[in-house]
Order: sequence, then C-alpha cells, then structure tokens
Amino acid sequence: MAQATIKERKSLSAWLSQEKVFRLIPFIMVEATFLLLLAIPFMLTIYISLLKWRANRPFEQAYFHGLLNYVRVLTTEDFWWALGRTFYFAGTAVFFELVIGFLLAMLAYKQFRGRRIYITIFLIPMMVVPVVGGYNFSMIYIDSGPLNQILAPITEAMGVNPRIRWLSHPIAAQWAIIIADVWQWTSLTFLIFLSGFTALPQQLTNAARVLGASRWQIFWKVHLPLLKPAIMIAVIIRSMEALKLFDLSVLLTFGGPGTSTETIAFFLWRQVWQFNKYSFGAAASIILLFIFGALIFYGIYLLVRERSIVEEESMR
Amino acid sequence: MTNEAGRRAEMSFAKRYNLFFWFRHAALLGWASMIMFPIFWMISTSFKDSGDWLAWPPNWFPSFLGGGYEPTLDNYRLIFSLFGQGDRVNRDVLEHVFTIWGAVRDSMVISSISALLALLLGTFLAYSISRFNVGGKYFRYMILTIRMVPPIIIAIPVVMYYAILIPFATQTVLGYRISMIDSYSGLCLLYMATTLPFVIWMMLNFIEEIPKTIEHAAHIMGAGRIYTLRRVVMPLVAPGMVVTFLFIFILNWSEFLLALTLTQPKVVTLPILLNKFQSAVEGRLYGPQAAIGTVITIPVVILGVLIQKHLVTGFSFGTIRK
Repeated sequence: MAQATIKERKSLSAWLSQEKVFRLIPFIMVEATFLLLLAIPFMLTIYISLLKWRANRPFEQAYFHGLLNYVRVLTTEDFWWALGRTFYFAGTAVFFELVIGFLLAMLAYKQFRGRRIYITIFLIPMMVVPVVGGYNFSMIYIDSGPLNQILAPITEAMGVNPRIRWLSHPIAAQWAIIIADVWQWTSLTFLIFLSGFTALPQQLTNAARVLGASRWQIFWKVHLPLLKPAIMIAVIIRSMEALKLFDLSVLLTFGGPGTSTETIAFFLWRQVWQFNKYSFGAAASIILLFIFGALIFYGIYLLVRERSIVEEESMR
Repeated sequence: MTNEAGRRAEMSFAKRYNLFFWFRHAALLGWASMIMFPIFWMISTSFKDSGDWLAWPPNWFPSFLGGGYEPTLDNYRLIFSLFGQGDRVNRDVLEHVFTIWGAVRDSMVISSISALLALLLGTFLAYSISRFNVGGKYFRYMILTIRMVPPIIIAIPVVMYYAILIPFATQTVLGYRISMIDSYSGLCLLYMATTLPFVIWMMLNFIEEIPKTIEHAAHIMGAGRIYTLRRVVMPLVAPGMVVTFLFIFILNWSEFLLALTLTQPKVVTLPILLNKFQSAVEGRLYGPQAAIGTVITIPVVILGVLIQKHLVTGFSFGTIRK
C-alpha cells in the first residue's frame, strides 16, 4: 500500500516534470485567470452595450436596442470633450514632468555630498498614496490656504484680492490638477533619467573631450543620443499612466467647475455610477477599448524597439 | 607661489566662487522644499484644532515653535477611537463614525492576499517564460496591455460581471446567489489580475540574473524539475520575491478607482475612507482627513524607501534596470 502511494507520487511528479507539462502549467493558470476575470466580462459588456438598460430597473426588463448606444456615445459632445481634455492634461503634465525630471537628473547624477539624501527626498511623492496627494493639494488650494498666502505679496502688489479661488475658475482648476500630477510623478521621470545618466559610458565622454568637443557639443551629440531610449521609455510609461487620470479630478474639483476638469475616466464613472446609464457606459468602454488599444499597441511597439536597442548596447 | 597665483588668475569667475556648487544645491533644495511642502502641510493640519483648519492667514508653526496654533491630538483620537467617540468633536460629525480600524483591516487583508496570489502565479509564469519561452517571444510584452488599459475600462465590465453574471451562474449551478460585489474575494481577484504584469516583469528581471548553468548542474546531478525549482531557484530569487511583494503591496494599498467602484458600503479600503470625509455634514473635515492621510502614508513611504533601488525597475516594467 505504502509502496503504491510512493509510486503514484513519483509518477505524478514525473508527469509534472515533463517539459511540455511543466512549462505550460503556470501559463494555463494565468491565461485562465485572464479569461475568467477579463475576457468574459468584456463579452458580457459587448452584449449589454447592445441592450437598452438603466440600472433603475431590473436586468430582465432590458430589451434589445441594436447599435443605438454606440451612436449615442459617438454623438455625445461631452464624451469627445472629456477625451480631448484627458489628452490635454496628460500631454501638458508629461511635458513638465519630463523637463523638470531631466534637469534634476542632470544636476544630481554626479557624486557630491548629500546626493543620496536628495534622491531619497525626490522619491517620496511617488510613494505617497495618490488619494492622499490629491487631498493634500485640495487643502493647499483652498482660498484661505497656504498657497494664497505665499502668493500674497505678489497679488497685493498687483492690487488683486489675495484669496484667489484656485478650484472654481475653469482654467485655474485645470492647472491645479496638472500641478498636482507633476508634483507626484516627476519623481518617476527623475529616477528613470537618473539611471540613464549614471549608465552613460565615461570613455565616450572622455574621448569626445580629447577630440576637443565643448561641453555643449558633448551634451547634444554624445549624451542625448545615448539617453534617447530612457527618454522614450519615460514618455511611453508616463503618458500611459497619465491618461488614466481620475483620482485628482474626483478629489480636487469633482469634475467642476462645470465640466472643465472632467477626464474621460471621470465622465464614464459619472455616467455609470451616478446616472445609472449602464448600457451607455458599456458601449463607451468598448469604444474606448479600441481607441486606447491602438495607442497601447503603438506604445508597446516603441517599448520593444527601445528595449532591443538598450540590450544591444549593453551587449557591446 | 607665483605659479599658484597664476592659476588662480586663470580660473574663471564661476569656478573661483564655486558658482556651480551653489547653483546645484539651490536648485535641488528648491525642488526638495516644493516636494515636501504638501506633506509638511498635511502633517501640521493633522495637529490643528477645527478652528485653525481654515484660518486666514494660515498658521504655519505650532505654538512651541513660535507659531500660531496650539497642537492637539484630537484628530488622531477621533480616527483611532475604538467606538467612534471623540471628546470634543461635534455631534453632527459623529453621525458618520470615522474610525479607521475597519478600513485598516480591509486594506491589509486585500492588499496582502492579492499581492501574495499575484506573486505566486506571476513568479511561476515568469520562470517558464524565461526558461521555456512560453507563449512566444512577444508574450511578455502583450501582458503589459492589461496594465496600460485605463482601469475605468476594466471596472465597468467587471462590475456588470460581478453583479449580473456571477449571481446568475451560481443561482443556476449551485442553487443560491453569490455576489462578488462588495466582497474581499472580488477585489482580491481583480487586484491580482491587474498587478500580474508588474510581478511578471519584475520577476523576469530577477530570474534572468540567475545563470542557467546552475540549473543545468542540478539537472545533471539528478535533481528533478520541481526539486530544482524549490531548492535551487527559489532561494536565489527569494529576495527578489520580497521586493516584488512589497512593491505590489504598495500599489494595492493606494489603488483608488477599482476600490471605489467595486466595494462599499461593507468593504472600505483606506483611500475610500479618506474620500468619504468629503461628504460629511459639516463640510470637509480637514483635520481628521489629514490625520488619516498621515497614517496611510507613513508605512508606504517606509516600505518604499526600503525598496527604493528597485522602484524604478518596478514602475518602468523592468525596462530600466539599475
């Protein structure tokens, strides 16, 4: 009896150790997870997007509605405005993050006293919970808050009321969100550029200097081309993350004033969870999946390209 | 001596006064103070009494540093009180009971369980991707799509799935309805799926650092695949697994959108609890909110500083390594 169990166990482990079984077990498990958790819901969503259904009545009373939801989403002006605004926020925020992160990394990559402390401090915003960060900024932006007091000498010199309402003017509110995003994520671009700068080969710089290149030339002709992969990776990763922007518009302005800070995520959340337009939300999320899918595949294509460049260079 | 003086004279103005040194420190210090300012403001607000939250001009420092407000622990007393009873806080406020213990428990359970599950699944998949090239050359890149899709696009289908299909399926198969909305299991599974790309990429980095020859040696000496995995590979990647676990834990701990849409009122994670203070009767409760913010942030920042060398690898999906 005991021998039989040993034999069985052995044969089980032998079966598991076969390469074709062993290599596929984790793959199948992960694929099954994705299928059950993501693929089936998306099929359900496609089905629901063809129905007319609001959550204020039971699902059984929904009826078939054709492609009308899609037409409705595509003809909703707010949908396109929210989408455009998301790209505007993401583009502006990522631009500032890249510029500031690059300059800081340029200042901090060489050894000097206190470098580690600076780097540790610069890392902190990235680790702060985004909700806490957004909430901190909402506290700073209130009209009797610290930001207005810092700006008070300037505003008083200009003869304006120092209690500026940051969050209830459309354009100021948009910039408030962008600044909060820049505060939090410049640390990531800084880190990416920092590791790019520290990986610069010293021989090339020395060689250029021996050949009589000025600092300016070394930077533009030697360093910048070598840093291109790092820059591309920072752009791709940050813009993909920035397009998800949601927390800040909930916490700082709740989409307001009017709809001037509604991002696409916030717009959809409001349609589904506040107005209960479930089939509308389903159609919109399918449409967005296609739009973002195209962007993501392009981004991943670029990532693969840059990564192979990086690897080739490290092979040399 | 003359030589020394000559060199001095040759030096440019900038070099003589070490201008670059001062410029670098001024710029870095300026940015560091801008970064720390919101955090400083949160911590100081968490020690203010309700009258000082919105005072104009704002009070910067506590009275023992010569500033204008009396530091108080009331906010912390309110959020940590076991029965939701602060001493000096208004009754209206107490209609919403804002203690954080329930949320701390929910956040801890959900973040750690889903991080563990993702770690187990992801490590094995990363191993078989690295050693057997499972799924083809581009599989590791395709898996990134899941992370790059905005979470709202995932949230809407999953909510409908949890709210309609799963109760329906369990009704027909098991005979009773199971709803996964507002439950630990629903959020844990979803967090596991959305953090898998991070796990796979971080673990791929760690696993590819192990030379294959070690495994070959073990194989030649007669070790089976599972034995090799358990006794040879696991000890070598264990530190990497710890780092990955902490990283995923931080991500789950701070996740907002999926928690907002899939839970409440029973399961409340910490970011959601913080958000709830917005809609209190008395307007915003800045003090307790700041106290909660401080309490949430401290453990995450400590964990983050511990794994700071690997943060870049994590956030850039392993495309940048240190």
